[in-house]
Amino acid sequence: MTQKHENLSAIVDGELQDDNLISELHSDAELSAKWQRYHLIRHGLRKEMPLHADFDISAQVAAALEHEPAIVAPKRTWKDLPVVASVIPFARQSGQLAIAASVAVAMVIGVQQFNQPEELQDFYTAPATIPGIQGGLSPVSLEQSQPVNRDDVMEQRRRIQAYLTDHKQQLRFKTSVVDAAEKPVEEIEDKQNQESETQPE
Amino acid sequence: MKKMVYAITHLNYQISFVVLKPGVDAQPYLWRHGVNEQGVELEQLSLLNGPGIEMIRIGDQVSYFEPNVPPYSLRSSIINGPFPLAFFNDPARLAASYEFIAVARSRISGRAAQQIRIVSRDRSRYSFNLWLDQETGLLLKLNMVNLKGQLLEQIQVTEFEVTATVHPYLERVELAKMPPVVSLAQTAESEKNWQINALPVGMEIIKWDVHRLPTNGEVVDYVMLSDGLVDVSVYLQRAGLQAGEEGFVYHNESNTLLTRNLGQLQVTVIGKLPAQTANAIVSSITLVN
Repeated sequence: MTQKHENLSAIVDGELQDDNLISELHSDAELSAKWQRYHLIRHGLRKEMPLHADFDISAQVAAALEHEPAIVAPKRTWKDLPVVASVIPFARQSGQLAIAASVAVAMVIGVQQFNQPEELQDFYTAPATIPGIQGGLSPVSLEQSQPVNRDDVMEQRRRIQAYLTDHKQQLRFKTSVVDAAEKPVEEIEDKQNQESETQPE
Repeated sequence: MKKMVYAITHLNYQISFVVLKPGVDAQPYLWRHGVNEQGVELEQLSLLNGPGIEMIRIGDQVSYFEPNVPPYSLRSSIINGPFPLAFFNDPARLAASYEFIAVARSRISGRAAQQIRIVSRDRSRYSFNLWLDQETGLLLKLNMVNLKGQLLEQIQVTEFEVTATVHPYLERVELAKMPPVVSLAQTAESEKNWQINALPVGMEIIKWDVHRLPTNGEVVDYVMLSDGLVDVSVYLQRAGLQAGEEGFVYHNESNTLLTRNLGQLQVTVIGKLPAQTANAIVSSITLVN
């Protein structure tokens, strides 16, 4: 008996294919109850349990099957022709694609329409009311502690430019002055030698 | 690092690189270097976009060819170009102000590169990330980042070629054809009636004079500070700002310009350094008399 239970458990896990046991399942009520419980446990362990579940639907399925009229030989329809049969899946797929595409388009349009008015509002509200210097849009990062009139700003800019130009110039002259002070005489003589060497070329 | 110094001063190479700064277009440069048979260093640095700027160095004479200015030469062993070449010639000088950290290896411009981080010891200056070619030690990439790690300036090498012989262009360069050397009028030592009390670690005063600004001719007291990697200009002038104005900070490319009123004086600091540091320098200025 325990051997049987073990085998049953293996079948539930898909590890064993035992036709004898399966046929026995149909006859043995205890075994089939166990089969049901094993499946239930497995679902529980795998967290596949539905929240509200009518655990035993097998009886209902059986009952429903009783009432189902038996179909002995399915009628041949145009769908069973080989060409049509192979086309149908494509048609089905493309139908799905079409649906997906139209949903995407609807989404895009919806999102666009949803976002547009907000953006416009945001954009126009801030600077339009303030004439002259416009908040964050000023191209120069001149941080002033006080509003200054235009001439002063120009004057200041000119002065900044003068300082910057001079700074660059000073950087260029920097080494020449330092070197002139530090250069030993011999190097200058070297220099003259080089001059005499290069001149004949 | 030694390899880098050797490579930069001794190899024949041609490097194309691009300088990226905030607010301006990418600036592509061509950089050629060679040592001729007489052992004289030849170097050319040329801006490739627009009218261009051409800088040619023969030994310790540098000639500048620029639009709008007649060409001139200066006595200098370094081209003061878009990146601190002085640093590449003598990185040991920076040890006082910066820490060098070798970081990971990576691939830059298609070559194996060693990354080196250069961080200022007192966190008062921007940090640098440097990538050097594993094989030759030449520069492949240089990033300047602010204290938050955001990128401020980038030099990216796009083409790289080391040759056995001097580039034919450099061979044609002749000292005799270069414009005459401009000797800078030595400005008389001015009375130093003010001083800067707090310099960032490793920074020194390398120049102190009085001169006129080039465009508007105003007379300014001038001091240049340098730590070998970053140069900072400090200007002192009679107050030019309206009373009540506190001063302002202005960012031009990767330079910071900070102007503040100090009593009767207006102090302006320009350089590639964080505004807080510029402010600290201004705040520490005192009048002696």
